[in-house]
Amino acid sequence: MDNIALRRQRPLGLTDLFGEQAAAYAGLERTLIEQFERWGYRRVVLPTIGYDETLSTQASPRLREQLYRFFDRDGRELALRPDMTVPVARLVGTTLYDQPFPQRFYYTGKVFRYEQPQAGQRREFTQVGIELIGAASAEADAETIAVAIEALSTLGVDTFQINLGQVEFLKSILNGRGLSAEALFALEQAISRKSHVEIQHTLDALEIGGEVAEVVLALPGLCGDLDVIARARHLTASPAAHHALDHLAHVYELLTLDGHAAHLILDLGEVRSMDYYTGISFHGYVSGLGFHVLSGGRYDRLIGHFGPDLPAVGFAMSIERALLVATKSALKGADLVLPACEHAACRRLARLARSLGLRVELELLGRSGDALANDALARGADHVVLSCDGERCLLMDAGSAKPRELTYDALEAEVRTWSR
Amino acid sequence: MEPLTFALPKGRLQEEVLALLSEAGYATDADVGRRLVFQDRSGELRFIMAKPSDVPTYVEYGAAALGAVGLDVLREGNWDVLEPLGLNVGVCRLSLAGPAEWRDRNLRLHSGLRVASKYPRLAHDYFQAQGISAEIIYLDGSVELAPAVGLADLLVDMVQSGRTLVENGLVELQIILPSEAVLIVNRAAHKMQFARIEAIVDRLAAAVVRRKRMAV
Repeated sequence: MDNIALRRQRPLGLTDLFGEQAAAYAGLERTLIEQFERWGYRRVVLPTIGYDETLSTQASPRLREQLYRFFDRDGRELALRPDMTVPVARLVGTTLYDQPFPQRFYYTGKVFRYEQPQAGQRREFTQVGIELIGAASAEADAETIAVAIEALSTLGVDTFQINLGQVEFLKSILNGRGLSAEALFALEQAISRKSHVEIQHTLDALEIGGEVAEVVLALPGLCGDLDVIARARHLTASPAAHHALDHLAHVYELLTLDGHAAHLILDLGEVRSMDYYTGISFHGYVSGLGFHVLSGGRYDRLIGHFGPDLPAVGFAMSIERALLVATKSALKGADLVLPACEHAACRRLARLARSLGLRVELELLGRSGDALANDALARGADHVVLSCDGERCLLMDAGSAKPRELTYDALEAEVRTWSR
Repeated sequence: MEPLTFALPKGRLQEEVLALLSEAGYATDADVGRRLVFQDRSGELRFIMAKPSDVPTYVEYGAAALGAVGLDVLREGNWDVLEPLGLNVGVCRLSLAGPAEWRDRNLRLHSGLRVASKYPRLAHDYFQAQGISAEIIYLDGSVELAPAVGLADLLVDMVQSGRTLVENGLVELQIILPSEAVLIVNRAAHKMQFARIEAIVDRLAAAVVRRKRMAV
């Protein structure tokens, strides 16, 4: 491929957003940020680049492979952040660890993963999310999920749900069996595929039988409302497993108090990232989309890599995925289009209209009359000044057949009414 | 209620999977002919006909909630779908094969081994795991030709009865992956339509078990 061709290309897995898509992107980001702020979350702005050693902390082997890596001038390995949680954990662990708790943070930013572009996956995408640090209670878990449910509800889709799991349940069952990381991963993958045969195979290969095997084989079916917890309880006598279930039930009940039960599915078969999460984990799904739009959970052992151990819970939504289903609003055109002329009255009018919060575009190509009217109205403008002489102007309104003549004073008075 | 979309693989597996679905209570009219979209009589499922290697794509994106596809095709790609059930139809195996003189050779000691395959990823993973250094030559079909014309030493391909191999003077050297048609389900659909999809899985599972009992 020669240079000229390459210059015109976007690397695979990256996207340009413009027009309605870009407007919807910005609108969704703004809405989510406003929501997070209403819950008391504060913005953090974090570097896009970090040391590989930082950003790989607790990353799964798969995520590790997906890092964009490069060297700084001293030969140290840098990477583009693959998520926002690790940079937040570094900030808290190294800098904010002795400040009052709980600490509530939200972020929005691009993250980068070198993956095969496929269903809803891009190599650069935007995560908007929250982290709640310093509270290990069921109330903290419930708050995080409540914010996630609110975030889903802003998308304007018919139905959405959070599948809420608890990785501690499975971990407490497997605990003390001396399973290697590879063995755990094989098991996690089989459970995650809900493949009964593969789960059985993996259990056989690991020589796991009895109660543990029964629990593991039951996991894919442990999905539904509160009775899931009762069913799970019957499968094991392990106090740690029961404790994990009690916690989950408590979170569920707290969310029920706010009327969120309709959006909640308890799902003990959701065990992905078992090595990372240390409690609840959840995914958000919306109708019409074949993959989750948000995911999150509790990760009490991450911040300890950077400073003191601190409990933490959070979630992130992918804006690009959410945009695939979010209700689109049409691009709004200008409220007023004016010739870029030198008359003082005309320029004053433009300043006035902007100060009132209206969108004002100047005509920069020297067009007037029909040529200007046709172009501006086609782009969604509400009002177009077709010509002016410093005192009077010819104004075309969207939807009317022909322009009307009026003085600038009259137009100014009218402009004041548009802003309402 | 809207029917759930079920992606069927065109070709070899299509009839067998439709027969199994029919036994599970999702019968279609006999004259579906060459239609690409049709429903079962109960209205629970809407079938779409897709190229086998496209079935996981439809399902991963959620354009189809369910699908049936050979495990060989599924493992060759890197799809994030659920696989709740083996359908026990289209049973075959991915095997390493070649001319008979390769039967007792230690492949690890052959550098510069060339292997033709329609399954480059599975072939690559197999050789990696075995510590064999091999160059994979991708072919889209008639892989058995490759050794005959000197394009490759060996081949990795699906074997059902083994007749094609015999007819081309080749022998099966090693089974790499036992395969059958598997039911696949979109992750989000499984979450959002849990009861409905579990009911379909259960009925198909019962049909598979009935067949196995009859065969005994």
